[in-house]
Amino acid sequence: MGQGPSGMPGGNAGDKKNDKKKEKPKYEPPVQSKFGKKKRKGPDMAAKLPNIYPNTRCKLKLLKMERIKDHLLLEEEFVMNQEAFQPTEAKQAEEGDKVDEIRGLPMSIGTLEEIIDDDHAIVSSSSGPEYYVSILSFVDKGLLEPGCSVLLHHKTVSIVGVLPDDADPMVSVMKLDKSPNTSYADIGGLESQIQEIKEAVELPLTHPELYEEMGIKPPKGVILYGAPGTGKTLLAKAVANQTSATFLRIVGSELIQKYLGDGPRLCRQIFQTAAEHAPSIIFIDEIDAIGTKRYESTSGGEREIQRTMLELLNQLDGFDDRGDVKVIMATNKIESLDPALIRPGRIDRKILFESPDLTTKRKILSIHTSKMSLAPDVNLEEVVSSKDDLSGADIKAICTEAGLLALRERRMQVTAEDFKGAKERVLKNKIEENLEGLYL
Amino acid sequence: MSPTKEDEPKIDAVSAKEPKKEPKNDAEELSEEDAQLKSELEMLVERLHEANAELYQPALDKLKEFIQDSTSSMTAVPKPLKFLRPLYPLLCELHSRWTDSTLQSNLADVLSVLGMTYSDTGNHESLKYRLLSRNSEIGTWGHEYVRHLALEIGDVYTEKLEAAEPADDLLRLALDIVPFFLKHNAEADAVDLLLEIEAIDHLPQFVDSLTYARVCLYMVSCVPLLAPPDDLAFLNTAFQIYLSQGLLTQALAVAIRIDDESLIQAVFDATTDELVHKQLGLILSRQNSSFKTDNQDVQDCIANVKLAEHFRHLITELNLLDPKVPEDVYKSHLESTKFGIGSGSVDSAKQNLAASFVNAFINMGFGSDKLLAEKDSKSWIYKTKGAGMLSTTASLGAIHQWDVNEGLQVLDAYLYSAEDDIKAGALLGMGIASATVHDEVDLSLLLLQDYVTNPSKKIQTSAITGLGISFAGSKNPEVLDLLLPLVTDTDQPIEVSAMAALALGHVFVGTCHGEITSAILQTLLERDFAQLENKWIRFMSLGLGLLYMGKYEQVDDVLETISAIEHPIAKTLKVLVTIASYAGTGNVLQIQELLQMCTAKPKSEEETEEDSEEKESDEAEVKEDAEDKSETPEGESAQGYAVLGLACIAMGEQVGQDMSLRHFAHLMHYGNPLIKRAVPLAMGIVSASNPQMKVFDTLSRYSHDSDLEVAINAIYSMGIVGAGTNNARLAQLLRQLASYYSREPDSLFTVRVAQGLVHLGKGTLSLNPFNTDRQILSKVSLAGLLTVAVTLLDPKSFILDEHHSLLYYLTPAIKPRMLVTLDEELQPIKVNVRVGQAVDVVGQAGKPKTITGWVTHSTPVLLGHGERAELENDEYISLASSMEGVVILRKNPEYVEIDS
Repeated sequence: MGQGPSGMPGGNAGDKKNDKKKEKPKYEPPVQSKFGKKKRKGPDMAAKLPNIYPNTRCKLKLLKMERIKDHLLLEEEFVMNQEAFQPTEAKQAEEGDKVDEIRGLPMSIGTLEEIIDDDHAIVSSSSGPEYYVSILSFVDKGLLEPGCSVLLHHKTVSIVGVLPDDADPMVSVMKLDKSPNTSYADIGGLESQIQEIKEAVELPLTHPELYEEMGIKPPKGVILYGAPGTGKTLLAKAVANQTSATFLRIVGSELIQKYLGDGPRLCRQIFQTAAEHAPSIIFIDEIDAIGTKRYESTSGGEREIQRTMLELLNQLDGFDDRGDVKVIMATNKIESLDPALIRPGRIDRKILFESPDLTTKRKILSIHTSKMSLAPDVNLEEVVSSKDDLSGADIKAICTEAGLLALRERRMQVTAEDFKGAKERVLKNKIEENLEGLYL
Repeated sequence: MSPTKEDEPKIDAVSAKEPKKEPKNDAEELSEEDAQLKSELEMLVERLHEANAELYQPALDKLKEFIQDSTSSMTAVPKPLKFLRPLYPLLCELHSRWTDSTLQSNLADVLSVLGMTYSDTGNHESLKYRLLSRNSEIGTWGHEYVRHLALEIGDVYTEKLEAAEPADDLLRLALDIVPFFLKHNAEADAVDLLLEIEAIDHLPQFVDSLTYARVCLYMVSCVPLLAPPDDLAFLNTAFQIYLSQGLLTQALAVAIRIDDESLIQAVFDATTDELVHKQLGLILSRQNSSFKTDNQDVQDCIANVKLAEHFRHLITELNLLDPKVPEDVYKSHLESTKFGIGSGSVDSAKQNLAASFVNAFINMGFGSDKLLAEKDSKSWIYKTKGAGMLSTTASLGAIHQWDVNEGLQVLDAYLYSAEDDIKAGALLGMGIASATVHDEVDLSLLLLQDYVTNPSKKIQTSAITGLGISFAGSKNPEVLDLLLPLVTDTDQPIEVSAMAALALGHVFVGTCHGEITSAILQTLLERDFAQLENKWIRFMSLGLGLLYMGKYEQVDDVLETISAIEHPIAKTLKVLVTIASYAGTGNVLQIQELLQMCTAKPKSEEETEEDSEEKESDEAEVKEDAEDKSETPEGESAQGYAVLGLACIAMGEQVGQDMSLRHFAHLMHYGNPLIKRAVPLAMGIVSASNPQMKVFDTLSRYSHDSDLEVAINAIYSMGIVGAGTNNARLAQLLRQLASYYSREPDSLFTVRVAQGLVHLGKGTLSLNPFNTDRQILSKVSLAGLLTVAVTLLDPKSFILDEHHSLLYYLTPAIKPRMLVTLDEELQPIKVNVRVGQAVDVVGQAGKPKTITGWVTHSTPVLLGHGERAELENDEYISLASSMEGVVILRKNPEYVEIDS
């Protein structure tokens, strides 16, 4: 934040404009033109609250926070008193009305092409032609930047307002409004995986000071990998259910877009949205859709996919600090991923999901059967005790299948027989899958 | 290294749900190991219930072992604690039944740890049993447990304090815990604990050479945020630790902050090393301290005698010897205006005067210039008129700043001039040239004292101001004898009295000098009311305020006496004394009071009299406002001072500095013209020589205000904010302002002065009142800044009128922002240093770097705001802890040159 003693070279272009304008003597105080430059969203620099160091849990931090609070209370008191003395609300409403009057109705919408000087700009309207128009004085010039949507007066076409440019609507779709109803309790086993993901993703967001005290940077992201049906997505759902952070979820294939450059742009916007709503967690399922190893390719489509991945690489650990954004990825083909994607610093933790062992299988089964009506003769032990290689998804399939079998016979209870049949069916399907592989 | 994170449930969003589901699932889902562990634990507890007392001890030991062995993730409760939880009431009951004290104590030990998991009940079970136990190895239970204990100690202590119960047992326990914290890299916790139980003075005995640095750093950075008397206790403790660890320069810095001469003396007494004494003297010299020692060499260091020499060395090395002319900083060829300076539309004498000021500012301390140093230098002086000649002559003093002999010699010639203005200017210049530098002879005093009673008012006030500038902070008794009669003498014109009071305020800044206080108050009581309306009276009040700078403990009596004054001036006086006394404390309550003062309309007190007027139409109000602008009665200017006070108080710590900018924005939005005029000045004070984008952006917006006086103050503040930085962006903004105001002589004058300030000493000087790692607030510097700000509250009647020489009150505040290294013979030597942005390392783990983004230079170098330097290699050892100003280096005897 602190500026060095030397001048800011970035400001020169804008200033030159000012110089030119000064040629005609003016009696109005000019407003410093500082637009045209990209301005970070968020509160005004001067109004921003100071950052607090240190981050450790200590009295000093508390004292500093309290000091800020005190000052804010003072401000509140002062403003309230002043408002009581000389109420401005009515005046503001009146002025608002006036502004509305000047704006007129209807307003047309255009795109700001170029800013000429403090109160003139070139806009293009949706119908095609470009206009040189004036910017009315009440327009917040801080929001103006080339390419943004502006409101235009219907007759004079002068700029009367700025429309906030939102991120791609696709991104807002990805934001999870309703959390899934899967919780950690619905996961059988996977204790160590849960612990690892908590340490790497949730704890840095809830207790950053623990890492600070230890003097380490918290991990940025994790990748979940393992055979199909071992609960990777399930765990991500549980994380989404538990956390109060913004949860964005996308599937790798969503990043593949029709037009060139759309994929990387979407990728950027996702991370931008995440940063705006920080703290947040981004979950990218099936990352192998875009994250495969780079290779020479003649196909434009493939190259585009690779570019998307490069953008992802940059967003994960690029030049800009992302702050409180954590990334969870899931794949079942970790060996095919580009090594740059999963290097430490981008993805610090690789969490393996193995096929469940006996106790885990038992737990999974008990979770799935807990809501089923079982006949007394069902021995769950029998279902899982065999040496069969069953994943979590298989066990769920068995339960579902058993239920379906029971339904077929119009029974209200699932019997041991049903389970037996169901297991056979599921295993048969599994074997067929494997057999198919033989023909390849 | 780090303590194991063993126990304590982390109750966060993540695990909050776990305890709920566990009881339900436990029964069915326990793995075999868990089940075994549980049964074993249950068995052990069972055994404690049995009659066989012999088995108790082994069972307890086993239990402890289980608990201590359990390690788990940060997010979960360790299993033994989980399983023992249901048995906890049982054990508690057992504890009350047992009679064997050893066993009881051991059990209490275990219970204390278990009690931690019951922390939500809020009855401090953990602490209760800890106090019942006699085992002292608290640390074996892990860090989290100790932390928990510390938390409970704090709570219980407050409870006991409210109930007025003795808390010796808590203190004893705390003193057991503190060494553990210190050993485990948790200094902050140790200090916090002692702060909670108000026993910080016990800290020094536990601190050793490994931990002191972090402990002290933490303590010192807590100070501005603590309420008295804790802050003083912290400083004193830090002082003791530094002194006992032999870090004299740091101890001195703390002693200066405490502002206690006996402590400073203690630092000097702590060593017999003369070189160290000299270094200490050099640090003191930056505060313009009046400290006296027997050793003449050391005294010379304190008195800044060599300052000019060191500064010359700096500018020679930096190749800045060539004098600059004002045009070099105006760069008017870049001002794209058709109406240049020469257009005749502006008062050329005024512009020449501005040029004199700019010339003085940019060549300050360089000893040479192009404007005045020509053979027939008087020609330039005669290009200005009246009081302008005074300031122009005085600017020679500024050019020869710190170089007393040379400066006095040059100015001596002007003393014999026939014109009073030039003579007065020469006197003022002498004061400026010798500002902050005092040798045993004190030539300037000898020269100036004869003129203090000169019949010509001009010469008299100049001599007085000269003395005030020259001896700022020195507490010189001879100056007191000279000026005190002038204050009390009611036959003197009010102007002279006021200036004498102001000068005394500068000389005795922050001393609470009783004699001067009573003299000023007496004068205020004796002078008749008409005189109290005089515009000069504000300096009388300011002088009184300066006396109490930073001494808020001793200010109450004075405030009471002031209440006796019946004139409205009492209010102003009160505000000025209060703000000065709380300067740099960051005291929120005072800020609140000041803000409330700004809320109230200035006329609210006189409402009874003005009721009739109030009822009149708005038009009358407008008229009044207009009157307000032109001439503000002294009694109502309190609000302006309150705004300045906001700056003075809030500048003490970083948070306050940032937050004060928000206050200023509100004040600007709601305030009356008087407040608006003060706001830019206050912003300047808060960030003097610290050009932050957000500050000068705002100022540049104000500089186009329709109220010209607001604009003028904003322009001046832009100069203050960028003082001595050569900031290109600010220079650009000022150039634009120069063309914008090319037809407004007053504004243009201010723009020029601001331009001069930005290029102060060609970018080698600074106005920042903080030094030594931004720890110490130099009262002299702040006094200078405040004085000029006060004059500018009413710019039209002082600076823009005939009394622009008051601008020279800035000179005591001007310090070179250099780092010069000296060898053991006090000769400058070249070493390589890294200069980079300072990093706040308080409370960070490990050994973080104190600077970032550094560049290696060889000394002497310039240090910008917020920059810090460190030696590149260990060939030399710095005697000063913070590499600022003049630093003495000593050869490192253990240095081995590494050949590459």
